[in-house]
Amino acid sequence: MLNLVNFTNFDFNQLFAMGDDTNPIMMLIWIIPIIFFVFYGQRIQLYITSSEIKKGIKKLDSYKEESRNELIDYITKNLKPKDDLIKKIDRFLDHFTIMPVDMDPNGIVDKVRHTVRSREDYTREHVKLLSPGISDLEVTKVQTLLEIASSLQMIYKIVNHMFLTAKKQNNYPLILPLQMLLPFIMEQAEAMKEAIPAFKVGQPVGDGIGPMVVGKMMLSGEKETVAFQTVLVKTEFENRTLFLLKAEGPGSTVGRPADALETIVSSNKLDVIIMIDAALKMEGEDSASIAQGFGAAIGGIGIDRFQIEAIATNNSIPIFSIVVKQSVKEAITLMTKEIADQADDVRSQVYEMIRENTKQGQSVLIIGVGNTVGVPQ
Amino acid sequence: MFSKKKIVIAYTVEKCKKCGMLRKRKFAEGDVLFAESSNCASCDGMTSIEKIFGEIIE
Repeated sequence: MLNLVNFTNFDFNQLFAMGDDTNPIMMLIWIIPIIFFVFYGQRIQLYITSSEIKKGIKKLDSYKEESRNELIDYITKNLKPKDDLIKKIDRFLDHFTIMPVDMDPNGIVDKVRHTVRSREDYTREHVKLLSPGISDLEVTKVQTLLEIASSLQMIYKIVNHMFLTAKKQNNYPLILPLQMLLPFIMEQAEAMKEAIPAFKVGQPVGDGIGPMVVGKMMLSGEKETVAFQTVLVKTEFENRTLFLLKAEGPGSTVGRPADALETIVSSNKLDVIIMIDAALKMEGEDSASIAQGFGAAIGGIGIDRFQIEAIATNNSIPIFSIVVKQSVKEAITLMTKEIADQADDVRSQVYEMIRENTKQGQSVLIIGVGNTVGVPQ
Repeated sequence: MFSKKKIVIAYTVEKCKKCGMLRKRKFAEGDVLFAESSNCASCDGMTSIEKIFGEIIE
């Protein structure tokens, strides 16, 4: 076999076309492009990649403008603002949050909670100042629309900054991470832009499946505000005490379930916690499929999950979860039929879980986690 | 290039509390889940909003 190719018998003049009978023009035709690509290859790649990123940035710019205009339009039509609306909105959109230093992570969650809540409180109070007499429901809607518009503005600014820096320095490697991340960023941005109509008219979103399930269970009970924008109903089921908890609908809020849990645990003994939430599906998974598991099913920045886990650990309460899988877009846009159709099935799984994991006389806390826009109780 | 624009239409499903009949209609502003909606078309019961969802039309 080895005899078939003789590696010792190459004619290098023939191989590189350097013999006396070689046409020098032909030689230049393949040598020049090699030299050209060695020196300018990265720059050419930079130009090709740039055109794709430019298209993305143009789209992000249009999303940013669209969300800003929708917000201004909504406030002007529905809230009759006092004065200087556009100037105030633009100032809001440019607001930034400086996260606490994490060099010493001890106590970082409390610091993050304080920073995030201060920002929320500030925004809420200033939205109220835009239009005196504005209802709490409208405040939550405007706050969400403001959050969407400022997130889109931030995404646009960061992507544009990374692109312009790479272009300015003709630095191809600097543009590579942006090229890789851009499809994911665009998916998020598109989802946010498409979420605006649902929040404007107060329609339930995919993330609201948890509140939808628990909200129906709460209907006949007496509601009690147990934490900020969070309601509790105490009821009975097959000789077990049920504590039903969700954000206060139909406003656009996720409530403060961790604060509520702390209050409930201070005066009641809980045996099991069941959390119902929307979860991001993996590629290839069916949308609206239901899955059961262990641990606190709650998204966000992590402060609520941290607090819930700490309380559950200190009181030795097991946490069970039921999630409804969906994409980023489905989670924040108008709820799809497939997700809405799963509500009854999730509810029956909750009752089954209670029967299987608790005895008569025990207490269960059921939390409907997620944005409760369009979902009262 | 050849993808058609997708339009999402919002629907409200009402359920009669008495006879359980379901009725699907287009979403109207102000609709929220579980709210009492209208009189049932087949009996004298009241309907409440059971579901609100979007369907894609291509």
